[in-house]
Amino acid sequence: MKFLERLLESRLWALMRKETVQILKNRQLLFLLLFPPTVQLLVFGYALSPDVRHLKLAVADYANTADSRELVAAFATNGIFDVAAALNSPQAVSEAVRTGRVTAALVIPPEFQRDLARGQTPEVQLLIDGVDANTAGIASGYASQIVRQFGYTLAGTSPAAIDPIVTILYNPGLRSSWFFVPGVLGLVLTLTSSLVSSATVVREKDVGTLEQLLMTPAAAWEILLAKLAPLFVLLVGEALLALAIARLAFGVPFLGNFWLFMIFTSLYICVGVGIGMMLATIARSQTQVVLTAFFVNLPLIQLSGAIAPIETMPEFFQVVSLADPLRHYIAIVRGMLLKGVGIEALWPNVLVLAASAFLLIAISTNRFRRQLE
Amino acid sequence: MKRILAQCAKELTQFRRDQLTVALAVLLPMATLLIFGYAIRLEANNIPLAVQDLERSPTSRAFADRFYATNQFVPAHWDGRGAPEALLDAGTAKVVLIIPSDFSRRLDAGKVAPIQALIDGTDSNNARVIRNSVRQVTNFYLSTRSETAPTIALRSRLWFNPGREEALYIVPGVFALVLAIWPPLLMAIAMVREKEQGTIIQVFASSLSAAEFLLGKGLAYFLVGVAQAVAVFGLGAVLFGLRLAGDPTPLAIGTVAMLAASVSYGLFIGTRTTTQSAAVQAVATSGFLTALLLSGFIYPLSNIPFPLSLVSNIVPARYFIEITRDAFVRGTGWPGIWFAPLLLAVLGGVFFLASFRSLKRMQLPG
Repeated sequence: MKFLERLLESRLWALMRKETVQILKNRQLLFLLLFPPTVQLLVFGYALSPDVRHLKLAVADYANTADSRELVAAFATNGIFDVAAALNSPQAVSEAVRTGRVTAALVIPPEFQRDLARGQTPEVQLLIDGVDANTAGIASGYASQIVRQFGYTLAGTSPAAIDPIVTILYNPGLRSSWFFVPGVLGLVLTLTSSLVSSATVVREKDVGTLEQLLMTPAAAWEILLAKLAPLFVLLVGEALLALAIARLAFGVPFLGNFWLFMIFTSLYICVGVGIGMMLATIARSQTQVVLTAFFVNLPLIQLSGAIAPIETMPEFFQVVSLADPLRHYIAIVRGMLLKGVGIEALWPNVLVLAASAFLLIAISTNRFRRQLE
Repeated sequence: MKRILAQCAKELTQFRRDQLTVALAVLLPMATLLIFGYAIRLEANNIPLAVQDLERSPTSRAFADRFYATNQFVPAHWDGRGAPEALLDAGTAKVVLIIPSDFSRRLDAGKVAPIQALIDGTDSNNARVIRNSVRQVTNFYLSTRSETAPTIALRSRLWFNPGREEALYIVPGVFALVLAIWPPLLMAIAMVREKEQGTIIQVFASSLSAAEFLLGKGLAYFLVGVAQAVAVFGLGAVLFGLRLAGDPTPLAIGTVAMLAASVSYGLFIGTRTTTQSAAVQAVATSGFLTALLLSGFIYPLSNIPFPLSLVSNIVPARYFIEITRDAFVRGTGWPGIWFAPLLLAVLGGVFFLASFRSLKRMQLPG
């Protein structure tokens, strides 16, 4: 009780109230805290879809027999390819792929039926637009499965003698949003916490009110803490909002412990705020702060595995990414939301987060204090 | 015309004076290219795979070795104790293969031998790739066991990028991303700064018309954008070996159209916002996000679901990506992409008109 009374009468509390009023008056800041994260989560979740389906396929069936038409039908009915054009000359086929009108072209030679009848292996050709290397690779894998399956039906033999029974854990429907949304949650927290905290600190520098604050008896740490505490509360609110969107819009499960998750999230917000403060001590004006924020945030996000998974990066970047706090936070989010694991699997990530939060805040507070004196 | 050039010269002088901004204007596009160009890869190699071989026969071992013989899987560290699911929980393996104890007996008897593959589905794209690979490796193993030829042989040929180098797909997209973010960002900041510092009142009071003011300012950042474009194309050629695959004119004209659209977009944001941080957030959310997600940069455009797919039609980067991919990889030239520079020019015109209208209202008539 005594402590609470002292707190309420303290300078720190007065400063905090001043900052809170200032933030609540700043409509644009509130808008920035709410609108871009919502849009980002929704767009990332819905727009990023690695599914390889409905690829446009041109067909040049020179054999034109019942079997060759069956093969075309096998391609057309499995959802991977949509027959978009039937062509009848090699020029037309190459033209269709070259101009990008179709992604792939299936060419069945005239001797298809003759070879089949003689018991020889007929060759059919698939031309794939390889510009999109990932899609092309997956599509060619599917195509060979389709052709093999069709061959078995045609020959009447039983298919593969080894039957791989595939069980997908954590995300059985392979919904891509379940992968992206936890990553974007981390991304959004990084962007807003660093931008908002650096902007509020630098604005006082820019406008010159920082000198006025320094004239007051308040100490540097009080000024900083008072500035950052209300922001911290808002950012925790933003994390909750993002979690709600993940749940309601994408049905992302939450298998871990909620309170533990919020503790780790608060830790990460400290990291984000620390980045923001660091930027504020480097930059002299708002223009510089936003540009340097980009300079720092881009690699943080790209190396975190939010969009492109870490395992696909070149070795060198995988090692570099170990120093990226966002990578560890996203590992925590995915682990707790999708896998339902707790501290027993995530403690290395938590340690890195705690260390980087401490370092960032300690260094930037120190720099801030020196700049003031 | 003379006034436009004077405005442009003034703008460039002002730009040069802030050295940190100049440095960032050069460094940021290059850094973007480096990070996106090297770090974004979609296809996983060296996927950690653990095998729980309950049979331990030469056949089962030969089968398991087939997986490690591809460059896609590497053995995961596992002492063989405990439940295999724990490996996936901890993330030390992405896939666990369980070979039952009657594997070779069933196989030799001509019966179907089931095996189990547990795949970590957290990353759905990779899970799909792993699933396909497991099936392909199994089929390949079977084809080495039996002598009979397949009923039908499929010869797949990948055009334009036969080695499936992902850099050829990603890096031309990064060019578009760079030109979609940095020129409009610098432009919007320059525009909104006049408002923030109140210098725009002086412009209104002068005899300079709104169109002249916007054109002069835009021209300056258009030139900055040209420098950025040349820098990233050059760096792309040096680091990733990207060379022009055909006619260079679509790329040249397309780049001009893209920069015009980008810079006008920056002007538009600059005239509509009042503070620098708002302008930056607006460009970051609307420009960067759309260029990254609604342009076909990472995954094909056709995968974007319905209401969002409409938005992607007004994203300049989408058209420029078609131009760069064609110029650096496909090499078809005008017949394949004649529409893209045209649409970019139209988009640029619309953005410019919109910013012109909102600025004109603030100026006194006469």
